[in-house]
Amino acid sequence: MEILSGILSFTFLAQIFRMMTPYYLGASGANFSERAGVINISIEGFMNMAAFSFAVFSIFTGNSILALVLCLIVNIILSIVFSLFTVTLKINQIVTGVGFNLLIAGITKFLMVLFFSSSSNTPRISVHPDMAFSITLFAIALILISIHLLYKTKFGLRLRSAGENPWAAESLGVKVMKYKYAGVIISGLLSALGGIWLVSSQNNYSDGMIAGRGYIALAAMIIGKWKPLNIFFACLMFAAFEALEITLQISGADIPTQLIQMLPYLITILVLIGFIGKTKPPAADGIPY
Amino acid sequence: MSHHSKANTLSVLLSLIFTFMILTILILLIGKDPVEVYSLIYNDVFTSGYGIGQTLFKATPLIFIACGLAICFHASLFNIGAEGQLNAGSFVIALTAVQIESLPLILKLLICACAGFAAAGLVGLIPAVTKVKKGVSEVISTIMMNFVVLAVINYRMVDFFAVKSTLRTVSIGDDSLLGKASDLFPFFEGSSLNVSFIAALVVAALVYILIYKTTFGYKLRAVGFNETASRYIGVKVNKMILTSFFVGAGITALVGINYIFGYKGYYELGFSNNIGFTAIAVSLLAKNNPVGIIFSSILFAALDYGGLAVNQLIPKEVMLVVQGLIILSILSSDSIVQSYFKKRGLI
Repeated sequence: MEILSGILSFTFLAQIFRMMTPYYLGASGANFSERAGVINISIEGFMNMAAFSFAVFSIFTGNSILALVLCLIVNIILSIVFSLFTVTLKINQIVTGVGFNLLIAGITKFLMVLFFSSSSNTPRISVHPDMAFSITLFAIALILISIHLLYKTKFGLRLRSAGENPWAAESLGVKVMKYKYAGVIISGLLSALGGIWLVSSQNNYSDGMIAGRGYIALAAMIIGKWKPLNIFFACLMFAAFEALEITLQISGADIPTQLIQMLPYLITILVLIGFIGKTKPPAADGIPY
Repeated sequence: MSHHSKANTLSVLLSLIFTFMILTILILLIGKDPVEVYSLIYNDVFTSGYGIGQTLFKATPLIFIACGLAICFHASLFNIGAEGQLNAGSFVIALTAVQIESLPLILKLLICACAGFAAAGLVGLIPAVTKVKKGVSEVISTIMMNFVVLAVINYRMVDFFAVKSTLRTVSIGDDSLLGKASDLFPFFEGSSLNVSFIAALVVAALVYILIYKTTFGYKLRAVGFNETASRYIGVKVNKMILTSFFVGAGITALVGINYIFGYKGYYELGFSNNIGFTAIAVSLLAKNNPVGIIFSSILFAALDYGGLAVNQLIPKEVMLVVQGLIILSILSSDSIVQSYFKKRGLI
């Protein structure tokens, strides 16, 4: 009964919206990239890089707004390198993604020890008190922004054409390469915000703090069928699982939380198999152009 | 040497040189002497029996996993799920070993290896079946399976099998442990190198024969090269996908033999430490050739162990950066060298 009232409270609802933030930012980012035809399984790594660099910049500059800007620049560079591999050199996108995830995990671990002589976490960071909340608000506004950008603007139409049929798009004068780069860079920026949110809400960076959120974001994108609003609901569902898990852990109820942790991934597989509606990725998703 | 193997050798060399250069710059940036760092690595890894033993010990699991993955990769199946597969296999190996404690060691090993193989293979079969039946991309489903498998193990483990206040299973008993290399050759004194390394070499040889010298391997590569064309020449593509996933995933379970029978005596949560992903890089560097995998595994293991050797000068995590750099530089140098050769009509 206590658990039930815990779940039905307003704080629990607020908790869900908070926890949705990194998922939705990552998932929207991945969506922009895939809409342009580039599969980015490196969202996890992008978030990790951003979280780490934001923490480092905050500590060294003492100004979290400046740190945010610097962190976004780092992720833009990272995205450009990722596009260089996947778009310009046409290297397999999955393998590149795995490589980026490994390299970023290595870089962050290495710099952690180098800067803070600790392999687990940074010292406490004082982040601007409104940072986490503003990012959550932005994430909610992002639903409308994505819908507008993808479906109501020339940019969105051309971006999607790069992911559906790049050959036809190019023949009509669309600079396909440019849009693919744009898609990946947007994914880098949005996942960076996800990483920054994690650091600002926990007030430090710790090794492994992304904890698979980048992959859950990919899962949400698939369940949301590459559509901004649907993706949002998928993220809300996953955030609810996470909030539930925490509530259960605190209450000490005899329900195995590991199995709740597993749900996002299991549901994704079930959705992919077709138990819950049909899914259809962009037609030229993952195919180098 | 054909132009193909020339191109391959060239790109591997280029990427290693590039990585070496970046590492040197990195060491200089930190303000340390590269010569000192490299001689430390050399002395620790290659001149002591302990160092060589530890390097080969660390190479063993990489050889197993990368060989398993190579089978999938040759069929152009992106199995990103080794981490889940090898954990499922190792977990089952540890549980089985305890159940059949009284059997003679060799029989016990065989039964455990088969049980682990089957468990890991079944985990690998799920993405294969969903791919064949529903056209689900194996990339996404293997990633998701990693999390599902680890959560299930975590649940079963913590609630049923773990030794109190630890994250490991009960020990399989000291007399079940495999012989250490140092028992025969005192040269390796103190290192954990054990018979599993020989087993890894045998597996690599078998996988080599399977891929390059059998009809199965021929069909496997045909599917990887051009699925539609191989369907037309009568290859049962779906059957190939299912078998290669089952066998490839199954082989990854053998790391459990090295870890449980050769080293710790129990399964511990988190023992794999993302080695399933590192093995992807190992296999790529070797162009998915099992003989090459032996060498690239030893290289990665030497880096891993070399990191410990230089830890007093630079954080050992630098080797994780190096491993990441190797995979990205091999990918890019491959692409550049290939297009250079193609432009000149050589391949």
